[in-house]
Amino acid sequence: MEGGFFGFLEHNSIYIVMFIVLVVWLGIFIFLWNTDKRLKSIESELKEKK
Amino acid sequence: MVWKIILFLLMSFVIIAGITFPIVPQPSHWYEFPNIPGLEEKAKIIFFHVPTAWLSVIAFLMAMIYGVRYLRKKNLDDDSKSAASLQLGMVFCILATVTGSIWAKFTWGAFWHWDPRETSIFILLLIYGSLFALRSAIENEDKRARLSAVYSIIAFLTVPFFIFIMPRIMTGLHPGSSNDDTSGPVVDFKMNANMQLVFYISLFTFTILYWWMWKIRYKAIIIQENLFKK
Repeated sequence: MEGGFFGFLEHNSIYIVMFIVLVVWLGIFIFLWNTDKRLKSIESELKEKK
Repeated sequence: MVWKIILFLLMSFVIIAGITFPIVPQPSHWYEFPNIPGLEEKAKIIFFHVPTAWLSVIAFLMAMIYGVRYLRKKNLDDDSKSAASLQLGMVFCILATVTGSIWAKFTWGAFWHWDPRETSIFILLLIYGSLFALRSAIENEDKRARLSAVYSIIAFLTVPFFIFIMPRIMTGLHPGSSNDDTSGPVVDFKMNANMQLVFYISLFTFTILYWWMWKIRYKAIIIQENLFKK
C-alpha cells in the first residue's frame, strides 16, 4: 500500500509540489499563530503594569 | 479562533485546487478547469499571483484610510496602522512583481518587457518606496505621521489608474490589455464556474490572511513605540 502511494507520487510529481506548498503554508500559519499569541500576552502584561 | 482555522482550511483548499486540479479542453467534472488560449497550464498562476496584486491595493487603501483617520484625530496609533499596511502593501506589491516576472519568462520569453502592466507596478513600487524613505528621514513622530498620511492619500489616488485603468486601455502583452483577443478578460469569460469559485475563494482567503498579518504588524509597531517612549 505504502509502495503504491510512493509509486503514485513518482508518476504524478505535481502532488509532491502540492504537499511541499502545504507544509510551507502550515509553517507560515503556525508562525503567525504563535506571534499573535505572544503579542496578546505582551499587550496584557503592559496593561497590567499600567 | 474559529476564523483562523477557517483561514487555514480555505488556503489549504486553494493550494490543493490551484496546483492539482487539471486543465482540460472540455471540462466534464467539477474538479476540472477549462483551457484558456494563450495561458494553458500556466493559467493556474491566477490563484496566487492575482491575490498578491489585489492585497497590495487593499493594503494601500487601508494605509490611506488610516492616514485620513490620523489627520482627523491625531492619534499616533492610526499612523502605526497606516505604516503597517504600507509595509504589507509593499511586500505584496514586490511579490506580485516577482511572481508575474517569473510567469512572463515562460510565457513571453523574458523576465521583463516594460509592458504597461509591468511599468505601472514598477511606478507604484517607486511611489511607495519613496514613502518609506520619507518616513525614515523624519525623526519627529507627529511630523512624520502627518506627512506620511498626506503622502499615502495622494499616492493612493494613483493606484486605481495604475492597477485598473492604464494596463487595460493600452496595448500590451499582459492578459486583459486592450489588444488582448485570446485570453482576456480572463475572469469573466474564459473561466468556468468552478475556476471562478476557486479564484474568488482565493481572493477572500488572501484578504483574511492580509487582515491577520496587518493586525499582528500594527500591534507590534504600537508596542515597540510604547516601549521606546518609556
